[in-house]
Amino acid sequence: MPELWDSLPAATQDWLWLAALVAPALVMAAVLLRGFAPAPLVRAMLWRFRWTNLCCIALIAVSIGMGAGVITQERALRDGSARAADRFDMVITAPGSDVTMMLATVYLEITDAPLLNGTLFNEVANHPQVALAAPLAYGDSHMGAPVIGTTEGFVRHLAEGQIEGRMWQDPFEAIVGAAIDLKIGDSFVPAHGLGDAAQEGLHGDRIAVVGRMAPTGSPWDRAILVPAESVWLTHGLADGHAEPGQLGPPFDAEFFPGTPAIVVIPRSLASAYLLRQEFTRDRETMAFFPGAVLGNLHRLMGDVRQAMSVLTLVCQALVAAAVMLSLFILSRLFARQVAVLRALGAPGRFVVAVVWAYAMVLLVAGTLTGLVIGQGAAQLLSAVLSSRTELALNARIGWPELHLAAGFVTLGGALALLPALAALRRPIAEALRGG
Amino acid sequence: MDVRVDDLSVPGPRGRVLAGAKALSVPAGGSLGLAGPSGAGKSTLLFALAGLLPQARGKVLWDGTDLIGLGARARRRMAAQNFGFVFQDFLLFDELGAAANAAAHAMFAPRAQRAAIRTEAAQRLGALGLHEADTRRPAASFSGGERQRIAVARALATRPGVLFADEPTASLDRAAADALINDLTATARAQGITLICVSHDPALLDRMDRVLHMRDGHLAETADA
Repeated sequence: MPELWDSLPAATQDWLWLAALVAPALVMAAVLLRGFAPAPLVRAMLWRFRWTNLCCIALIAVSIGMGAGVITQERALRDGSARAADRFDMVITAPGSDVTMMLATVYLEITDAPLLNGTLFNEVANHPQVALAAPLAYGDSHMGAPVIGTTEGFVRHLAEGQIEGRMWQDPFEAIVGAAIDLKIGDSFVPAHGLGDAAQEGLHGDRIAVVGRMAPTGSPWDRAILVPAESVWLTHGLADGHAEPGQLGPPFDAEFFPGTPAIVVIPRSLASAYLLRQEFTRDRETMAFFPGAVLGNLHRLMGDVRQAMSVLTLVCQALVAAAVMLSLFILSRLFARQVAVLRALGAPGRFVVAVVWAYAMVLLVAGTLTGLVIGQGAAQLLSAVLSSRTELALNARIGWPELHLAAGFVTLGGALALLPALAALRRPIAEALRGG
Repeated sequence: MDVRVDDLSVPGPRGRVLAGAKALSVPAGGSLGLAGPSGAGKSTLLFALAGLLPQARGKVLWDGTDLIGLGARARRRMAAQNFGFVFQDFLLFDELGAAANAAAHAMFAPRAQRAAIRTEAAQRLGALGLHEADTRRPAASFSGGERQRIAVARALATRPGVLFADEPTASLDRAAADALINDLTATARAQGITLICVSHDPALLDRMDRVLHMRDGHLAETADA
């Protein structure tokens, strides 16, 4: 049986899960409502207690919206951050924190780091298992956007070849990310440093924008890429070459000022593991896969997500209890009408069906509203996060949220039987007298 | 339907008898008024005759079938098919229209009977002076007299054999009460419906074939009309 389940497509499994979660509620509806037409009475109850009903729906909607929003947002962040790391197969840096260096290289949360020398760079670049090796030299910025020195090969890899304009042909030409507010033909003088510490006027060289990368859905969309030589020359260092006028690799180790990180694209998966092993050297270099580091972070986030999911479920249970309590009270306020129905000869099942259907309208309306709220909240949060990080976040209600909502409705439906049955237990004569 | 009561009692807390009747009978199509001071047990006896009090003891034979001896489901079925109720404060569904209230049985009746119930309810409303155009208005928007007529239409929509009325005129002004009394008694007589009324209203009690007075849960005296 587990083999059969595993052999099903993921979408089929999701549909089956949804069906399994909704099925008990549908069975309850079929059993209770069969042969009856309680809609007018349910509408009457909804209208009579309209403000209380709206409060119940709002309570359910907020609870479901919070749960769905948190799960949706967390998934969007996980997917977006993983997509951003896709282009960074392996990174080599000086030993330290792989998380810090991953954040610096992949997400451009730039931090000071020891430099790797030209000998090491050439060793990496000339390794037979390496398809591409590029230095990442940083330290300057323009209007808050980091200016990153690298190679033409890495720019083409990052943009998947989609570059508007042309590639740089001079150290003082730049390719800008899709979100940079500079047009081709504009020029700028980079500030020294990043963020609040950036100092204008320390550098004199003007850099011209000659190309623009297509959107990558990563923080690199708000980066300005220049030849590594540009960064070195701007800081009064050698430009990596023995002879002037050269651009890009190969670099001369003697004239290589250093780079905090080298991005490596291995020739194959096997090459990647070989290179990681080879360039993980005690007190010299650290080689890591950003995807793996991110995976560890996601596992940690997964634990947090589980904790938040439990909190969400507790919140939903409390809301369900509050709604059930109000249903007990409301059905008591409707007790005389229920007694009239029973005096007229209505079957007990009809009375249960009316109260249950009324509860289900509140539950389903609250749950659907909650899903809309969850989607809206996740989209809003994604827009804020995207604008800050340039991570392409696609926050959409997915199967887990639908499963959560379906489970809530079914569980609520089962609990709603309690006030419905309680309505049936009240003595008719006593209720008719208003007791 | 005729009714014969044999040693009926409704026990209350601490062995007290809330209402009882040693022997009582009402012929089919006849009418019975239950009078007496408040708390005398009139409504309790009415509810016991209608099978609404599961703790009642003794025999209540409707056309020979002992209502108290029946199971809950059979009792409910008998009520649905044969009994109609009118209450002091109408007990309508205020948010529903007059027509929907009068046809309330249709919500739980077998599908095949629903159209007939709705048709009968509409006819009853018309016969009681409620215009068809008004019958979609919520019950809460009608006057007291009109609301009680909607309640009567509801009680009659299933063509019952028995009509139980608990203080049907108590919430009405004199003119509305007199109109209702006329409608109620005329309809019952015309259709051969057995009418059992609890009331303080002499005008209503005067129209009953027989009036029983109750005191402390027991029938105190009998006055045949």
